[in-house]
Amino acid sequence: MSDTVTYRPPIFSLQRVWTLASSTFTQLVRMKTFYFLAVFAVLVIAASNLNLLYTPVQQLKVIRETSLGAMSIFSWLFAISATAVLIPRDLEDRTLYTILSKPVPRLEYLVGKLMGVLLVIGVALALMYAFFSVILYFQEYRIISNEMAHMAQNPRYTDQDRASEAAMIAAYGPDLNLLIAVLAVFLKSAVLAAVAMLVSTFASSSLFTIIISTVIFLIGHFHKMATDFWVVEQQGGMITRILGEILVLVIPDFQIFNIADSVSGGQTVSLNLVTQMSALALMYVAIFTIASWFLFSDKEF
Amino acid sequence: MSSPAVEVDNLTKIFSLSLRRDYLVAVQNLSFTVAAGEVYGLIGPNGSGKSTTMKVILGLMKATRGSTRIFGLDSRDVRSRHQVGFLPENPYFYKHLTGKETLHFYGKLCGLKKRDRNERCAELLALVDLEDAADRRLGGYSKGMLQRIGLAQAIIQRPQLVILDEPTAGVDPSGSRKIRDLIFQLKEDGVAVILCSHLLEQVQEVCDRVAIMQKGKMLREGALNELIAIEDEVELVMKNLPPDLQAQIEKLVNDDAQAQMVRAGHPRTTLERLFLSETEGEEGSAHE
Ligand SMILES: Nc1ncnc2c1ncn2[C@@H]1O[C@H](COP(=O)(O)OP(=O)(O)OP(=O)(O)O)[C@@H](O)[C@H]1O
Ligand SMILES: [Mg+2]
Repeated sequence: MSDTVTYRPPIFSLQRVWTLASSTFTQLVRMKTFYFLAVFAVLVIAASNLNLLYTPVQQLKVIRETSLGAMSIFSWLFAISATAVLIPRDLEDRTLYTILSKPVPRLEYLVGKLMGVLLVIGVALALMYAFFSVILYFQEYRIISNEMAHMAQNPRYTDQDRASEAAMIAAYGPDLNLLIAVLAVFLKSAVLAAVAMLVSTFASSSLFTIIISTVIFLIGHFHKMATDFWVVEQQGGMITRILGEILVLVIPDFQIFNIADSVSGGQTVSLNLVTQMSALALMYVAIFTIASWFLFSDKEF
Repeated sequence: MSSPAVEVDNLTKIFSLSLRRDYLVAVQNLSFTVAAGEVYGLIGPNGSGKSTTMKVILGLMKATRGSTRIFGLDSRDVRSRHQVGFLPENPYFYKHLTGKETLHFYGKLCGLKKRDRNERCAELLALVDLEDAADRRLGGYSKGMLQRIGLAQAIIQRPQLVILDEPTAGVDPSGSRKIRDLIFQLKEDGVAVILCSHLLEQVQEVCDRVAIMQKGKMLREGALNELIAIEDEVELVMKNLPPDLQAQIEKLVNDDAQAQMVRAGHPRTTLERLFLSETEGEEGSAHE
């Protein structure tokens, strides 16, 4: 028995996870990742000024589509590349030696890194969401007042016509559904980052991680198709079917997070779907983190 | 009774190389103990398994066979690392952090509270002479500066054991002397130190005990004084010895049946000499 350890330190400390996460956040921010926000702002402003050919509703739709599309691309690109680079870099720079020779369990290290990446994505998405909501709000206001002025000149339109036109346009303004769509983008990239982390614990290089994660990401969009094909209809030979079932089991279904398209089209989303989506994402992240932990705790440096 | 700072028990570490069924025995049946408060030198030629041994002690690598313990706790237990500070060879830290932020980062990982951390960081920055560079990012640090911030990081939580892998590599002579003084200071504070260095003079100066490794095996181990003492020789150190008296002494010795004059002059059996004779003696090429 040792008498030097006078207290029993916690095996898992949220404070240490937070230290690692915030350091990762700082690292990524100082890598100038937020420059993407400037690109995003330019994109959104450009999209909102491209109004020559469109009907009022279409104008707002273009802003919604462009913004959500850009947010989605940023998120998945960042989730894969940042996660794929971070851990190998710590290893190469031997920063890992000094971190793991402190009382830091390997699980905490992984969770901290993942949280750092997600923190950057979360903050970036929040900023982008805020920016494009403001743009959308002003555009909605401008378009409605233009439209009203236009309709006022024409005696054919009744007050009721005008009110319903305004309401129709307003349905494409900033709303809760957009926020939900952004949440879906975030959840999707969280799952993707967890996948990339798992791959990076056994990959030999960042490039390998990026390629494999991207492939998994793409396959994950055909999840339902694959399930129907291999599992439900029992198609294909024995071996392909077993392989298919394993794939379906291992690869997360990314399609379920794809509500951005319907949302930018103005559809509403049920609260039920939101909770379902969040629960599923949480489950995927947990499973992939635990799997990464198993591989990572056997790793030698 | 408190447990020894480090116990290495029959440690063997084998690396399997690439895809071929090739393997490399980096450490073989190594055993040693470092008592609390002792300064222990681990020396050996390049590739003799010193860094590997340290990594196993720190839980960065798994022992193939045998075990290692820190203050009685198995190295595989995370809690064993509460009392350790480690400076790896050629350390490299997060380039995006400043010197001060780096120390805070490691302090937080060790669970230091804010007030304590602030105090400790200021103290350590002064100790390693990096106060001026405290707010500069490590990306712009020189090799010796990185080494020094690494040293500060290693002792941030006042550990009872400090493991230093070539702490003086790339450090200028005055910095190197400072590191030596720091080790003395640690010793005074009752901190155990494992020092791995190729600067044998320094090892000789600071270490209580020394182990010489070669090809993963322990060649010699023991208290430094005993290791470098030559049992069947007696050293007479004289000052202002006139040449004729010296001639008389030599004559007296030569007249004796058993006694024999080995050499006269300025005798100094050093760790360096021992090291060379031990490690080269294996190859059978050296003499003396
Ligand atoms: N991760 C590894 N994979 C394969 N072989 C390794 C690995 N790490 C070390 N080795 C081998 O183990 C042996 C011992 O290496 P180690 O780094 O412990 O030597 P060292 O005594 O620290 O040498 P130096 O004085 O050069 O620092 C070497 O032959 C080295 O090539
Ligand atoms: Mg070494």
